[in-house]
Amino acid sequence: MSRDSILLLGESGVGKTHFGAQLLRRLMKGDGHLRMSGQATNLEPFESALESLNEGKAAGHTATSTYMDSVWPVADVAGHQAELVWPDYGGEQIKSMISSRRVPNAWQSRVRQAPAWLLLIRLQQTRFGEDIFSRPLGDLRGAAIENRELQISDQARLIELLQMLIFVGGAATGRQADRPRLGVLLTCWDELDFDGTPAAALEERLPMLAAFVRSTWYAPSIMGLSALGRPLSPHDKDSDYVSRGPEHFGYVVKPDGLHSSDLTLPIQMLLDGLR
Amino acid sequence: MQKCKRQACFAPDTGCDLGYLNLSKCSEWTGRTTPDSIDVELTDEVLLPWSGSALGLADLGFVAGRARPMVVGIAGPQNAGKTTLLGAWYLLLGRGAVGLEDRQFAGSFSLTGWEAVAGSLRWNPGQPPSFPPHTTSRSGRAPGLLHLSFWDARLARVTDYLMTDAPGEWFQRWSVNRDSAEGAGARWVSAHADVLLLVADREALSGENMGSARGALQLLARRVAAERRGRPVALVWTKSDIEITNQIEQSVREAVRGTMPDAEEFSVSVVSSGPGKHEVGVGLVELLNWILAIRRPHVELPSPSATSNDPLFMFGARTS
Repeated sequence: MSRDSILLLGESGVGKTHFGAQLLRRLMKGDGHLRMSGQATNLEPFESALESLNEGKAAGHTATSTYMDSVWPVADVAGHQAELVWPDYGGEQIKSMISSRRVPNAWQSRVRQAPAWLLLIRLQQTRFGEDIFSRPLGDLRGAAIENRELQISDQARLIELLQMLIFVGGAATGRQADRPRLGVLLTCWDELDFDGTPAAALEERLPMLAAFVRSTWYAPSIMGLSALGRPLSPHDKDSDYVSRGPEHFGYVVKPDGLHSSDLTLPIQMLLDGLR
Repeated sequence: MQKCKRQACFAPDTGCDLGYLNLSKCSEWTGRTTPDSIDVELTDEVLLPWSGSALGLADLGFVAGRARPMVVGIAGPQNAGKTTLLGAWYLLLGRGAVGLEDRQFAGSFSLTGWEAVAGSLRWNPGQPPSFPPHTTSRSGRAPGLLHLSFWDARLARVTDYLMTDAPGEWFQRWSVNRDSAEGAGARWVSAHADVLLLVADREALSGENMGSARGALQLLARRVAAERRGRPVALVWTKSDIEITNQIEQSVREAVRGTMPDAEEFSVSVVSSGPGKHEVGVGLVELLNWILAIRRPHVELPSPSATSNDPLFMFGARTS
Protein backbone atom coordinates (compact mmCIF):
# COMPACT_ATOMS: atom_id res chain seq x y z
CA MET A 1 0.00 0.00 0.00
CA SER A 2 1.20 3.47 -0.68
CA ARG A 3 1.91 6.07 1.92
CA ASP A 4 -1.27 7.97 1.33
CA SER A 5 -3.83 5.32 1.87
CA ILE A 6 -6.97 5.85 3.81
CA LEU A 7 -8.59 3.03 5.71
CA LEU A 8 -12.32 3.12 5.61
CA LEU A 9 -14.06 1.82 8.74
CA GLY A 10 -17.74 1.32 9.21
CA GLU A 11 -20.20 -1.25 10.39
CA SER A 12 -22.74 -2.70 8.04
CA GLY A 13 -25.42 -0.40 6.79
CA VAL A 14 -23.57 2.88 7.27
CA GLY A 15 -23.30 3.39 3.53
CA LYS A 16 -19.73 2.59 2.62
CA THR A 17 -20.57 1.31 -0.83
CA HIS A 18 -22.85 4.22 -1.62
CA PHE A 19 -20.20 6.70 -0.61
CA GLY A 20 -17.61 4.81 -2.63
CA ALA A 21 -19.77 4.76 -5.74
CA GLN A 22 -20.69 8.41 -5.50
CA LEU A 23 -17.12 9.43 -4.71
CA LEU A 24 -15.84 7.45 -7.65
CA ARG A 25 -18.20 9.26 -9.96
CA ARG A 26 -17.14 12.67 -8.64
CA LEU A 27 -13.47 11.79 -8.96
CA MET A 28 -13.97 10.77 -12.57
CA LYS A 29 -15.95 13.90 -13.31
CA GLY A 30 -13.10 15.87 -11.79
CA ASP A 31 -14.81 19.08 -10.73
CA GLY A 32 -14.07 18.70 -7.00
CA HIS A 33 -10.98 19.24 -4.92
CA LEU A 34 -9.73 15.82 -5.89
CA ARG A 35 -9.86 14.19 -9.27
CA MET A 36 -8.86 10.85 -10.65
CA SER A 37 -5.50 10.90 -12.40
CA GLY A 38 -5.62 7.69 -14.32
CA GLN A 39 -8.06 4.90 -13.76
CA ALA A 40 -8.89 2.84 -10.73
CA THR A 41 -7.45 -0.67 -10.76
CA ASN A 42 -10.68 -2.42 -10.05
CA LEU A 43 -14.16 -1.05 -10.25
CA GLU A 44 -15.86 -4.36 -9.67
CA PRO A 45 -16.90 -3.69 -6.07
CA PHE A 46 -18.76 -0.61 -7.22
CA GLU A 47 -20.09 -1.88 -10.51
CA SER A 48 -23.49 -2.89 -9.26
CA ALA A 49 -23.76 0.12 -6.95
CA LEU A 50 -23.00 2.49 -9.82
CA GLU A 51 -25.54 0.70 -11.92
CA SER A 52 -28.23 0.85 -9.23
CA LEU A 53 -27.68 4.55 -8.69
CA ASN A 54 -27.94 5.20 -12.40
CA GLU A 55 -31.36 3.68 -12.26
CA GLY A 56 -32.30 5.69 -9.21
CA LYS A 57 -32.23 2.74 -6.83
CA ALA A 58 -30.30 2.02 -3.67
CA ALA A 59 -27.42 -0.45 -3.94
CA GLY A 60 -27.61 -3.90 -2.45
CA HIS A 61 -25.76 -5.19 0.55
CA THR A 62 -22.07 -6.09 0.30
CA ALA A 63 -21.37 -9.73 1.17
CA THR A 64 -19.52 -10.37 4.40
CA SER A 65 -16.45 -12.09 3.06
CA THR A 66 -15.91 -9.64 0.27
CA TYR A 67 -12.79 -7.63 0.65
CA MET A 68 -11.43 -6.13 -2.48
CA ASP A 69 -8.95 -3.33 -2.44
CA SER A 70 -9.44 -0.89 -5.22
CA VAL A 71 -6.57 1.50 -5.80
CA TRP A 72 -7.53 4.93 -7.01
CA PRO A 73 -4.84 7.33 -8.16
CA VAL A 74 -6.03 10.80 -7.28
CA ALA A 75 -4.62 14.29 -7.55
CA ASP A 76 -5.74 17.53 -6.00
CA VAL A 77 -6.05 20.90 -7.70
CA ALA A 78 -2.48 21.80 -6.78
CA GLY A 79 -1.26 18.67 -8.52
CA HIS A 80 -0.34 16.64 -5.42
CA GLN A 81 -0.58 12.99 -6.30
CA ALA A 82 -1.88 10.41 -3.88
CA GLU A 83 -3.03 6.87 -4.07
CA LEU A 84 -6.26 6.08 -2.42
CA VAL A 85 -6.77 2.49 -1.44
CA TRP A 86 -10.46 2.14 -1.28
CA PRO A 87 -11.44 -1.03 0.49
CA ASP A 88 -14.93 -2.32 0.12
CA TYR A 89 -16.10 -4.96 2.49
CA GLY A 90 -19.16 -6.24 4.27
CA GLY A 91 -19.57 -4.27 7.47
CA GLU A 92 -20.14 -7.52 9.35
CA GLN A 93 -16.38 -8.02 9.27
CA ILE A 94 -16.10 -5.07 11.63
CA LYS A 95 -18.91 -6.36 13.77
CA SER A 96 -17.46 -9.84 14.10
CA MET A 97 -14.09 -8.34 14.94
CA ILE A 98 -15.69 -6.55 17.86
CA SER A 99 -17.71 -9.50 19.10
CA SER A 100 -15.02 -12.16 18.72
CA ARG A 101 -12.29 -9.82 19.93
CA ARG A 102 -9.98 -11.12 17.25
CA VAL A 103 -8.42 -9.04 14.56
CA PRO A 104 -7.63 -10.93 11.36
CA ASN A 105 -4.10 -10.61 10.14
CA ALA A 106 -5.22 -9.03 6.89
CA TRP A 107 -6.80 -6.27 8.93
CA GLN A 108 -3.69 -5.86 11.00
CA SER A 109 -1.55 -4.99 8.02
CA ARG A 110 -4.29 -2.76 6.68
CA VAL A 111 -4.47 -0.87 9.97
CA ARG A 112 -0.70 -0.59 10.27
CA GLN A 113 -0.17 0.73 6.78
CA ALA A 114 -2.88 3.32 6.70
CA PRO A 115 -1.73 6.70 7.96
CA ALA A 116 -5.32 7.91 8.08
CA TRP A 117 -8.57 6.28 9.10
CA LEU A 118 -12.01 7.37 8.06
CA LEU A 119 -14.68 6.15 10.44
CA LEU A 120 -18.21 6.12 9.09
CA ILE A 121 -21.00 6.33 11.64
CA ARG A 122 -24.68 6.41 10.88
CA LEU A 123 -26.13 8.14 13.91
CA GLN A 124 -29.62 6.99 13.02
CA GLN A 125 -28.45 3.42 13.57
CA THR A 126 -27.19 4.03 17.07
CA ARG A 127 -29.51 3.59 19.96
CA PHE A 128 -29.37 5.98 22.83
CA GLY A 129 -31.17 4.15 25.57
CA GLU A 130 -33.01 5.77 28.40
CA ASP A 131 -31.62 5.30 31.87
CA ILE A 132 -32.54 6.39 35.35
CA PHE A 133 -31.07 9.83 34.76
CA SER A 134 -33.02 10.63 31.62
CA ARG A 135 -36.19 8.96 32.83
CA PRO A 136 -36.17 8.70 36.59
CA LEU A 137 -38.17 6.07 38.31
CA GLY A 138 -39.74 6.98 41.63
CA ASP A 139 -38.74 3.89 43.49
CA LEU A 140 -36.08 1.50 42.31
CA ARG A 141 -35.98 -0.49 45.47
CA GLY A 142 -37.26 -4.03 45.43
CA ALA A 143 -37.24 -4.18 41.67
CA ALA A 144 -34.02 -6.13 41.43
CA ILE A 145 -33.95 -8.43 38.47
CA GLU A 146 -31.03 -10.77 38.76
CA ASN A 147 -30.59 -12.01 35.25
CA ARG A 148 -30.58 -9.40 32.59
CA GLU A 149 -29.26 -9.78 29.16
CA LEU A 150 -26.19 -7.66 28.83
CA GLN A 151 -26.35 -5.34 25.89
CA ILE A 152 -23.34 -3.27 25.06
CA SER A 153 -24.27 0.26 24.17
CA ASP A 154 -23.41 1.38 20.68
CA GLN A 155 -20.90 3.99 21.71
CA ALA A 156 -19.07 1.52 23.96
CA ARG A 157 -18.86 -0.86 21.01
CA LEU A 158 -17.41 1.79 18.72
CA ILE A 159 -14.92 2.88 21.38
CA GLU A 160 -13.84 -0.72 21.84
CA LEU A 161 -13.36 -1.05 18.08
CA LEU A 162 -11.15 2.01 17.97
CA GLN A 163 -9.18 0.83 21.00
CA MET A 164 -8.65 -2.54 19.34
CA LEU A 165 -7.44 -0.93 16.13
CA ILE A 166 -5.15 1.45 17.99
CA PHE A 167 -3.65 -1.50 19.82
CA VAL A 168 -3.27 -3.60 16.71
CA GLY A 169 -1.81 -0.63 14.88
CA GLY A 170 0.85 -0.44 17.57
CA ALA A 171 -0.01 3.05 18.71
CA ALA A 172 -1.59 2.20 22.07
CA THR A 173 1.11 3.74 24.16
CA GLY A 174 2.07 6.44 21.74
CA ARG A 175 1.24 10.07 21.92
CA GLN A 176 -1.57 11.69 20.00
CA ALA A 177 0.80 12.80 17.29
CA ASP A 178 2.01 9.25 16.63
CA ARG A 179 -1.43 7.93 15.84
CA PRO A 180 -2.94 7.84 12.39
CA ARG A 181 -5.09 10.79 11.47
CA LEU A 182 -8.75 10.24 12.14
CA GLY A 183 -11.70 11.49 10.21
CA VAL A 184 -15.23 10.84 11.40
CA LEU A 185 -17.93 10.94 8.76
CA LEU A 186 -21.54 10.96 9.92
CA THR A 187 -23.39 9.32 7.08
CA CYS A 188 -27.00 9.67 6.02
CA TRP A 189 -27.01 13.22 7.33
CA ASP A 190 -30.31 13.92 5.53
CA GLU A 191 -32.22 11.47 7.74
CA LEU A 192 -30.73 12.97 10.89
CA ASP A 193 -32.65 16.24 10.79
CA PHE A 194 -30.06 17.98 12.91
CA ASP A 195 -29.42 21.69 12.89
CA GLY A 196 -25.79 22.33 13.71
CA THR A 197 -22.26 21.23 13.05
CA PRO A 198 -21.36 17.53 12.66
CA ALA A 199 -19.19 17.75 15.77
CA ALA A 200 -22.20 18.94 17.76
CA ALA A 201 -24.31 16.10 16.40
CA LEU A 202 -21.72 13.55 17.46
CA GLU A 203 -21.45 15.23 20.84
CA GLU A 204 -25.19 15.07 21.33
CA ARG A 205 -25.84 11.55 20.16
CA LEU A 206 -22.66 9.73 21.23
CA PRO A 207 -21.05 11.93 23.88
CA MET A 208 -18.66 9.34 25.27
CA LEU A 209 -17.38 8.45 21.81
CA ALA A 210 -16.98 12.14 21.04
CA ALA A 211 -14.90 12.61 24.19
CA PHE A 212 -12.83 9.55 23.34
CA VAL A 213 -12.15 10.78 19.82
CA ARG A 214 -11.21 14.24 21.02
CA SER A 215 -8.90 12.98 23.73
CA THR A 216 -7.23 10.28 21.66
CA TRP A 217 -6.56 12.04 18.37
CA TYR A 218 -5.02 15.32 17.59
CA ALA A 219 -7.51 17.46 15.66
CA PRO A 220 -9.87 14.80 14.31
CA SER A 221 -11.99 16.07 11.45
CA ILE A 222 -15.68 15.46 11.98
CA MET A 223 -17.91 15.93 8.96
CA GLY A 224 -21.35 14.95 7.82
CA LEU A 225 -22.22 13.17 4.61
CA SER A 226 -25.29 12.44 2.64
CA ALA A 227 -23.94 10.35 -0.20
CA LEU A 228 -27.25 10.08 -1.99
CA GLY A 229 -28.87 13.33 -0.91
CA ARG A 230 -32.17 11.61 -0.33
CA PRO A 231 -33.33 8.15 0.67
CA LEU A 232 -33.56 5.70 -2.22
CA SER A 233 -35.35 2.41 -2.32
CA PRO A 234 -33.65 -0.72 -3.66
CA HIS A 235 -36.74 -1.61 -5.68
CA ASP A 236 -38.48 1.54 -6.87
CA LYS A 237 -36.90 3.99 -9.23
CA ASP A 238 -36.49 7.63 -8.32
CA SER A 239 -37.27 9.29 -11.62
CA ASP A 240 -35.63 12.59 -10.64
CA TYR A 241 -32.43 10.66 -9.99
CA VAL A 242 -32.54 8.95 -13.32
CA SER A 243 -33.13 12.09 -15.33
CA ARG A 244 -30.61 14.35 -13.60
CA GLY A 245 -27.97 11.72 -12.86
CA PRO A 246 -26.67 10.64 -9.44
CA GLU A 247 -23.68 13.00 -9.69
CA HIS A 248 -26.02 15.90 -8.98
CA PHE A 249 -27.08 14.50 -5.65
CA GLY A 250 -25.31 14.11 -2.35
CA TYR A 251 -23.52 16.62 -0.18
CA VAL A 252 -20.93 16.92 2.54
CA VAL A 253 -21.44 18.90 5.75
CA LYS A 254 -18.19 20.67 6.52
CA PRO A 255 -16.94 21.01 10.12
CA ASP A 256 -18.42 24.52 10.24
CA GLY A 257 -21.87 23.18 9.37
CA LEU A 258 -22.00 24.49 5.78
CA HIS A 259 -23.04 22.16 3.02
CA SER A 260 -20.89 21.46 0.00
CA SER A 261 -21.65 19.29 -2.98
CA ASP A 262 -17.99 18.25 -3.26
CA LEU A 263 -17.97 14.70 -1.92
CA THR A 264 -14.19 14.52 -2.14
CA LEU A 265 -13.77 17.00 0.72
CA PRO A 266 -13.49 14.47 3.59
CA ILE A 267 -10.73 12.63 1.73
CA GLN A 268 -9.05 15.86 0.76
CA MET A 269 -9.00 17.03 4.38
CA LEU A 270 -7.43 13.78 5.58
CA LEU A 271 -4.81 13.88 2.84
CA ASP A 272 -4.08 17.50 3.69
CA GLY A 273 -3.50 16.52 7.28
CA LEU A 274 -0.91 13.97 6.23
CA ARG A 275 1.23 16.46 4.38
CA MET B 1 1.48 -25.29 22.18
CA GLN B 2 3.10 -24.19 25.37
CA LYS B 3 1.75 -21.55 27.67
CA CYS B 4 3.62 -18.37 28.37
CA LYS B 5 5.81 -18.70 31.45
CA ARG B 6 4.80 -15.30 32.78
CA GLN B 7 2.09 -15.74 35.36
CA ALA B 8 0.10 -12.73 34.32
CA CYS B 9 0.08 -13.65 30.65
CA PHE B 10 -2.36 -16.11 29.17
CA ALA B 11 -0.89 -16.38 25.71
CA PRO B 12 -1.70 -18.10 23.45
CA ASP B 13 -5.31 -18.06 24.73
CA THR B 14 -5.30 -14.28 24.78
CA GLY B 15 -2.93 -11.73 23.36
CA CYS B 16 0.49 -11.16 24.90
CA ASP B 17 0.13 -8.88 27.88
CA LEU B 18 3.41 -7.18 27.05
CA GLY B 19 1.76 -6.01 23.88
CA TYR B 20 3.64 -8.07 21.29
CA LEU B 21 1.39 -8.75 18.37
CA ASN B 22 3.79 -11.39 17.12
CA LEU B 23 4.50 -13.80 19.95
CA SER B 24 7.84 -14.86 18.54
CA LYS B 25 9.15 -11.34 19.09
CA CYS B 26 8.42 -11.51 22.83
CA SER B 27 11.53 -12.29 24.82
CA GLU B 28 9.51 -14.13 27.44
CA TRP B 29 7.76 -16.40 25.01
CA THR B 30 9.32 -19.85 24.77
CA GLY B 31 6.33 -21.73 23.47
CA ARG B 32 6.93 -23.65 20.29
CA THR B 33 4.38 -24.97 17.96
CA THR B 34 4.52 -28.72 17.96
CA PRO B 35 2.81 -30.06 14.91
CA ASP B 36 1.06 -32.92 16.68
CA SER B 37 -0.62 -30.87 19.39
CA ILE B 38 -3.95 -29.76 18.07
CA ASP B 39 -5.62 -28.60 21.26
CA VAL B 40 -5.10 -24.95 20.47
CA GLU B 41 -6.59 -23.73 17.28
CA LEU B 42 -3.93 -21.86 15.41
CA THR B 43 -5.26 -18.81 13.69
CA ASP B 44 -3.64 -15.98 11.91
CA GLU B 45 -5.65 -13.55 13.98
CA VAL B 46 -4.39 -11.08 16.51
CA LEU B 47 -5.76 -11.71 19.96
CA LEU B 48 -6.24 -8.85 22.35
CA PRO B 49 -4.72 -8.87 25.80
CA TRP B 50 -7.84 -7.46 27.43
CA SER B 51 -11.24 -9.07 27.51
CA GLY B 52 -13.30 -6.02 28.33
CA SER B 53 -14.61 -7.49 31.55
CA ALA B 54 -13.63 -6.19 34.95
CA LEU B 55 -9.91 -6.60 35.44
CA GLY B 56 -8.31 -9.00 37.86
CA LEU B 57 -4.84 -8.91 39.37
CA ALA B 58 -3.36 -10.79 36.42
CA ASP B 59 -4.56 -8.12 33.99
CA LEU B 60 -3.02 -5.28 35.91
CA GLY B 61 0.32 -5.56 34.16
CA PHE B 62 -1.24 -4.54 30.89
CA VAL B 63 -3.05 -1.49 32.25
CA ALA B 64 -0.28 -0.44 34.59
CA GLY B 65 2.34 -0.58 31.86
CA ARG B 66 1.97 3.10 30.99
CA ALA B 67 2.15 4.37 34.53
CA ARG B 68 0.85 3.26 37.86
CA PRO B 69 -2.90 3.77 37.77
CA MET B 70 -4.75 5.57 40.53
CA VAL B 71 -6.71 3.00 42.50
CA VAL B 72 -9.98 4.22 43.95
CA GLY B 73 -11.01 1.97 46.83
CA ILE B 74 -14.71 1.94 47.59
CA ALA B 75 -15.35 0.55 51.06
CA GLY B 76 -18.71 0.04 52.67
CA PRO B 77 -21.16 -2.51 53.97
CA GLN B 78 -23.15 -4.68 51.61
CA ASN B 79 -26.11 -3.18 49.83
CA ALA B 80 -24.74 0.31 50.52
CA GLY B 81 -24.69 1.28 46.84
CA LYS B 82 -21.05 0.86 45.92
CA THR B 83 -21.78 -0.79 42.59
CA THR B 84 -24.63 1.62 41.88
CA LEU B 85 -22.19 4.49 42.38
CA LEU B 86 -19.91 3.01 39.73
CA GLY B 87 -22.77 2.33 37.35
CA ALA B 88 -24.08 5.85 37.77
CA TRP B 89 -20.69 7.35 36.92
CA TYR B 90 -20.48 5.27 33.78
CA LEU B 91 -23.96 6.30 32.69
CA LEU B 92 -23.13 9.94 33.28
CA LEU B 93 -19.97 9.59 31.19
CA GLY B 94 -22.02 7.90 28.50
CA ARG B 95 -24.51 10.74 28.51
CA GLY B 96 -21.78 13.34 28.40
CA ALA B 97 -23.45 14.87 31.42
CA VAL B 98 -20.32 14.98 33.49
CA GLY B 99 -19.00 18.51 33.80
CA LEU B 100 -15.45 17.35 34.28
CA GLU B 101 -12.97 20.11 34.89
CA ASP B 102 -10.47 19.98 32.02
CA ARG B 103 -10.67 16.19 31.86
CA GLN B 104 -12.03 14.01 29.11
CA PHE B 105 -12.91 10.38 28.90
CA ALA B 106 -10.08 8.65 27.07
CA GLY B 107 -11.03 5.02 26.93
CA SER B 108 -11.36 1.98 29.13
CA PHE B 109 -10.13 -1.59 28.95
CA SER B 110 -13.13 -2.87 30.89
CA LEU B 111 -16.01 -1.50 28.86
CA THR B 112 -17.98 -4.74 29.09
CA GLY B 113 -17.53 -4.68 32.84
CA TRP B 114 -18.81 -1.13 33.00
CA GLU B 115 -21.75 -2.01 30.81
CA ALA B 116 -22.58 -4.91 33.11
CA VAL B 117 -22.49 -2.63 36.14
CA ALA B 118 -24.55 0.08 34.48
CA GLY B 119 -26.86 -2.22 32.53
CA SER B 120 -29.45 -2.59 35.23
CA LEU B 121 -29.76 1.17 35.63
CA ARG B 122 -30.92 1.42 32.03
CA TRP B 123 -34.39 1.11 30.65
CA ASN B 124 -34.43 -2.03 28.57
CA PRO B 125 -37.39 -3.13 26.49
CA GLY B 126 -39.97 -4.39 28.92
CA GLN B 127 -37.75 -3.82 31.92
CA PRO B 128 -37.64 -0.79 34.15
CA PRO B 129 -34.28 0.07 35.67
CA SER B 130 -33.32 -1.38 39.01
CA PHE B 131 -30.29 -1.31 41.21
CA PRO B 132 -27.45 -3.59 40.15
CA PRO B 133 -27.66 -7.07 41.63
CA HIS B 134 -25.69 -7.81 44.73
CA THR B 135 -21.95 -8.17 44.11
CA THR B 136 -21.37 -11.74 45.11
CA SER B 137 -18.73 -12.46 47.66
CA ARG B 138 -16.28 -14.81 46.10
CA SER B 139 -13.33 -16.04 48.01
CA GLY B 140 -11.23 -13.71 45.92
CA ARG B 141 -8.10 -12.05 47.08
CA ALA B 142 -8.69 -8.94 45.04
CA PRO B 143 -11.79 -7.08 43.90
CA GLY B 144 -12.95 -6.64 40.35
CA LEU B 145 -11.27 -3.56 38.95
CA LEU B 146 -12.98 -1.26 36.50
CA HIS B 147 -10.69 0.81 34.37
CA LEU B 148 -11.11 4.37 33.11
CA SER B 149 -8.65 6.67 31.40
CA PHE B 150 -8.93 10.41 31.48
CA TRP B 151 -7.12 12.80 29.22
CA ASP B 152 -5.90 15.95 30.84
CA ALA B 153 -5.70 18.57 28.11
CA ARG B 154 -3.79 20.99 30.31
CA LEU B 155 -0.97 18.59 31.11
CA ALA B 156 -1.40 16.72 27.79
CA ARG B 157 -1.37 13.43 29.59
CA VAL B 158 -3.56 10.41 30.17
CA THR B 159 -4.16 9.15 33.70
CA ASP B 160 -5.54 5.69 34.36
CA TYR B 161 -8.00 5.01 37.15
CA LEU B 162 -9.04 1.68 38.58
CA MET B 163 -12.22 1.59 40.61
CA THR B 164 -12.68 -1.36 42.93
CA ASP B 165 -15.97 -3.21 42.85
CA ALA B 166 -15.84 -5.35 45.97
CA PRO B 167 -18.59 -7.10 47.91
CA GLY B 168 -19.55 -5.45 51.20
CA GLU B 169 -19.05 -8.61 53.22
CA TRP B 170 -15.30 -8.31 52.76
CA PHE B 171 -15.26 -4.95 54.48
CA GLN B 172 -17.46 -6.18 57.29
CA ARG B 173 -15.05 -9.02 58.04
CA TRP B 174 -12.05 -6.73 57.63
CA SER B 175 -13.45 -4.08 59.97
CA VAL B 176 -13.82 -6.71 62.70
CA ASN B 177 -10.55 -8.50 62.09
CA ARG B 178 -7.83 -6.92 59.99
CA ASP B 179 -6.23 -10.26 59.24
CA SER B 180 -9.40 -12.23 58.67
CA ALA B 181 -9.25 -14.73 55.86
CA GLU B 182 -12.55 -13.53 54.36
CA GLY B 183 -11.27 -9.96 54.36
CA ALA B 184 -8.31 -10.62 52.08
CA GLY B 185 -9.91 -8.65 49.27
CA ALA B 186 -10.62 -5.71 51.56
CA ARG B 187 -7.00 -5.85 52.66
CA TRP B 188 -5.94 -5.61 49.05
CA VAL B 189 -8.11 -2.53 48.57
CA SER B 190 -6.73 -0.94 51.69
CA ALA B 191 -3.16 -1.74 50.75
CA HIS B 192 -3.30 -0.47 47.17
CA ALA B 193 -5.91 2.25 47.03
CA ASP B 194 -4.76 5.81 46.41
CA VAL B 195 -8.13 7.23 47.43
CA LEU B 196 -10.58 5.63 49.82
CA LEU B 197 -14.29 6.20 49.74
CA LEU B 198 -16.14 5.23 52.88
CA VAL B 199 -19.71 4.57 51.88
CA ALA B 200 -22.46 5.25 54.43
CA ASP B 201 -25.83 3.83 53.48
CA ARG B 202 -28.62 6.19 54.53
CA GLU B 203 -31.22 3.56 53.87
CA ALA B 204 -29.68 1.14 56.34
CA LEU B 205 -29.16 4.00 58.80
CA SER B 206 -32.86 4.83 58.68
CA GLY B 207 -34.18 1.29 58.70
CA GLU B 208 -35.01 -1.20 61.37
CA ASN B 209 -31.42 -2.22 61.96
CA MET B 210 -30.06 1.30 62.09
CA GLY B 211 -28.30 0.63 65.36
CA SER B 212 -26.24 -2.22 64.00
CA ALA B 213 -25.69 -0.39 60.70
CA ARG B 214 -24.27 2.53 62.65
CA GLY B 215 -22.12 0.23 64.75
CA ALA B 216 -20.73 -1.51 61.66
CA LEU B 217 -19.98 1.81 60.01
CA GLN B 218 -18.20 3.12 63.08
CA LEU B 219 -16.05 0.00 63.17
CA LEU B 220 -15.26 0.36 59.49
CA ALA B 221 -14.39 4.01 59.93
CA ARG B 222 -11.94 3.19 62.70
CA ARG B 223 -10.38 0.45 60.58
CA VAL B 224 -9.99 2.76 57.61
CA ALA B 225 -8.54 5.44 59.87
CA ALA B 226 -5.98 2.99 61.24
CA GLU B 227 -4.95 1.78 57.80
CA ARG B 228 -5.16 4.87 55.66
CA ARG B 229 -1.55 6.06 56.01
CA GLY B 230 -2.42 9.63 55.18
CA ARG B 231 -4.29 8.86 51.98
CA PRO B 232 -7.30 10.99 51.10
CA VAL B 233 -10.58 9.66 52.42
CA ALA B 234 -14.12 10.75 51.66
CA LEU B 235 -17.26 9.92 53.57
CA VAL B 236 -19.92 9.29 50.95
CA TRP B 237 -23.56 9.27 52.00
CA THR B 238 -25.37 7.18 49.43
CA LYS B 239 -29.13 7.29 48.77
CA SER B 240 -29.07 10.89 49.98
CA ASP B 241 -32.77 11.25 49.17
CA ILE B 242 -33.58 9.24 52.31
CA GLU B 243 -34.03 11.07 55.58
CA ILE B 244 -32.19 9.86 58.65
CA THR B 245 -32.31 11.19 62.18
CA ASN B 246 -29.89 13.86 63.21
CA GLN B 247 -28.41 11.80 66.02
CA ILE B 248 -27.49 8.94 63.72
CA GLU B 249 -26.00 11.29 61.15
CA GLN B 250 -24.02 13.10 63.80
CA SER B 251 -22.67 9.95 65.40
CA VAL B 252 -21.47 8.56 62.07
CA ARG B 253 -19.92 11.89 61.17
CA GLU B 254 -18.19 12.06 64.51
CA ALA B 255 -16.85 8.53 64.12
CA VAL B 256 -15.29 9.56 60.82
CA ARG B 257 -14.23 13.09 61.66
CA GLY B 258 -12.94 12.10 65.08
CA THR B 259 -10.33 9.80 63.60
CA MET B 260 -9.90 11.45 60.20
CA PRO B 261 -10.45 15.19 60.58
CA ASP B 262 -9.47 15.91 56.98
CA ALA B 263 -12.04 13.53 55.48
CA GLU B 264 -14.20 15.10 52.78
CA GLU B 265 -17.93 14.57 52.84
CA PHE B 266 -20.27 13.97 49.89
CA SER B 267 -23.94 13.10 49.55
CA VAL B 268 -24.89 11.22 46.42
CA SER B 269 -28.04 9.82 44.93
CA VAL B 270 -29.11 8.58 41.53
CA VAL B 271 -32.47 10.23 42.09
CA SER B 272 -32.17 13.74 40.72
CA SER B 273 -33.75 16.47 42.75
CA GLY B 274 -35.94 18.66 40.63
CA PRO B 275 -36.82 18.24 36.97
CA GLY B 276 -34.37 19.29 34.30
CA LYS B 277 -33.20 18.31 30.87
CA HIS B 278 -29.94 16.89 32.04
CA GLU B 279 -30.63 14.85 35.11
CA VAL B 280 -27.37 14.05 36.76
CA GLY B 281 -28.43 12.76 40.14
CA VAL B 282 -27.07 14.39 43.25
CA GLY B 283 -23.41 14.84 44.11
CA LEU B 284 -22.12 12.20 41.69
CA VAL B 285 -20.28 14.61 39.44
CA GLU B 286 -18.81 16.50 42.39
CA LEU B 287 -17.46 13.28 43.88
CA LEU B 288 -15.90 12.20 40.57
CA ASN B 289 -14.32 15.61 40.14
CA TRP B 290 -12.87 15.42 43.62
CA ILE B 291 -11.37 12.01 42.87
CA LEU B 292 -9.90 13.16 39.56
CA ALA B 293 -8.31 16.18 41.18
CA ILE B 294 -6.32 14.06 43.63
CA ARG B 295 -2.63 13.63 42.96
CA ARG B 296 -0.38 11.13 44.57
CA PRO B 297 2.04 12.70 47.04
CA HIS B 298 5.06 13.71 45.06
CA VAL B 299 8.23 15.65 45.42
CA GLU B 300 9.06 18.64 43.33
CA LEU B 301 12.72 19.16 42.82
CA PRO B 302 13.92 22.72 43.00
CA SER B 303 15.07 23.95 39.64
CA PRO B 304 18.84 24.39 39.64
CA SER B 305 19.94 27.97 39.42
CA ALA B 306 21.74 28.77 36.24
CA THR B 307 25.00 30.60 36.43
CA SER B 308 25.34 31.63 32.86
CA ASN B 309 23.22 32.39 29.84
CA ASP B 310 25.31 30.15 27.64
CA PRO B 311 23.40 26.88 27.23
CA LEU B 312 26.62 24.90 27.19
CA PHE B 313 27.80 26.28 30.51
CA MET B 314 24.44 26.84 32.14
CA PHE B 315 24.85 24.29 34.92
CA GLY B 316 27.78 23.43 37.06
CA ALA B 317 30.01 26.30 36.04
CA ARG B 318 32.31 27.46 38.76
CA THR B 319 31.57 30.90 39.98
CA SER B 320 34.72 32.84 40.50
